[in-house]
Amino acid sequence: MTAMKREIPINQQQIDLYGKINGDNDIIHYDHDYCLKRGFRGTLVHGPHLTAFAADLAAKKFGKDWLYRGRLHTKWVAPVCPGDVLKIEIADDGSIVESVGQGVTVVGRASLDDK
Amino acid sequence: MTRPSDIKPREDSVPGTPFAGFKVGAKLDELRFTITPDIVEEYFASVEADRKLYQIDDRQAAPPNVLLPYMTCALYRNYPPIQGIVMAEVEMRFHHPIWANENTEIVVNGEIVDKFEKKGRRYVRWKAHYKRADGQPIAELINQFNVPE
Repeated sequence: MTAMKREIPINQQQIDLYGKINGDNDIIHYDHDYCLKRGFRGTLVHGPHLTAFAADLAAKKFGKDWLYRGRLHTKWVAPVCPGDVLKIEIADDGSIVESVGQGVTVVGRASLDDK
Repeated sequence: MTRPSDIKPREDSVPGTPFAGFKVGAKLDELRFTITPDIVEEYFASVEADRKLYQIDDRQAAPPNVLLPYMTCALYRNYPPIQGIVMAEVEMRFHHPIWANENTEIVVNGEIVDKFEKKGRRYVRWKAHYKRADGQPIAELINQFNVPE
């Protein structure tokens, strides 16, 4: 099986949509000027939102077993901001890498627990 | 229907928890919420998920990560958030589908596992177990986040 890849252009509207269901009010996702003061390039995509992108590829890789014994680990190592084009990839061994132009943003692994 | 915002203290709504306030080993209060078909549909849209990937024998399931918007609810009810928390990592294990066409009452139990400082940043690690109200295990989760100064 070949590696699975997906590209998603990121904008503030997507962050706001996730924020609506997430129910948070953390200005790190919504206040551009605050984020610049914190040293970021802009507002931040929610970490679990980035995890969801990888999870979708994992579901494709593992089929229905994913829903019964899927195991997903993601580590958010750098921010993703509006204007980025997010590249998501799951390799044959289940390793996950998400990246933007500035470099890697998420690493992790998707696998199945034993039956 | 339980929206995460119905059960999750929002930043600035109540005084937040500084790093010193997290108690390692402390159990979180049990939390119950209901994931409804509307929530599943909203989640599909918000994460741009491919619903075909979650069909089992012609029955539509939710992405199992539909639990993620609820992730911090159990934590924040015990430890209300301060502004500027940054998530570091999460590990999830899925045990059973959450069906998209029915209400699913979820029961959450959890505890603070660890707190530590690394490279000048302060982190808290905690875990949660998600079961259906009838006892069927749904998922487990371990999350680590950075608490700003």
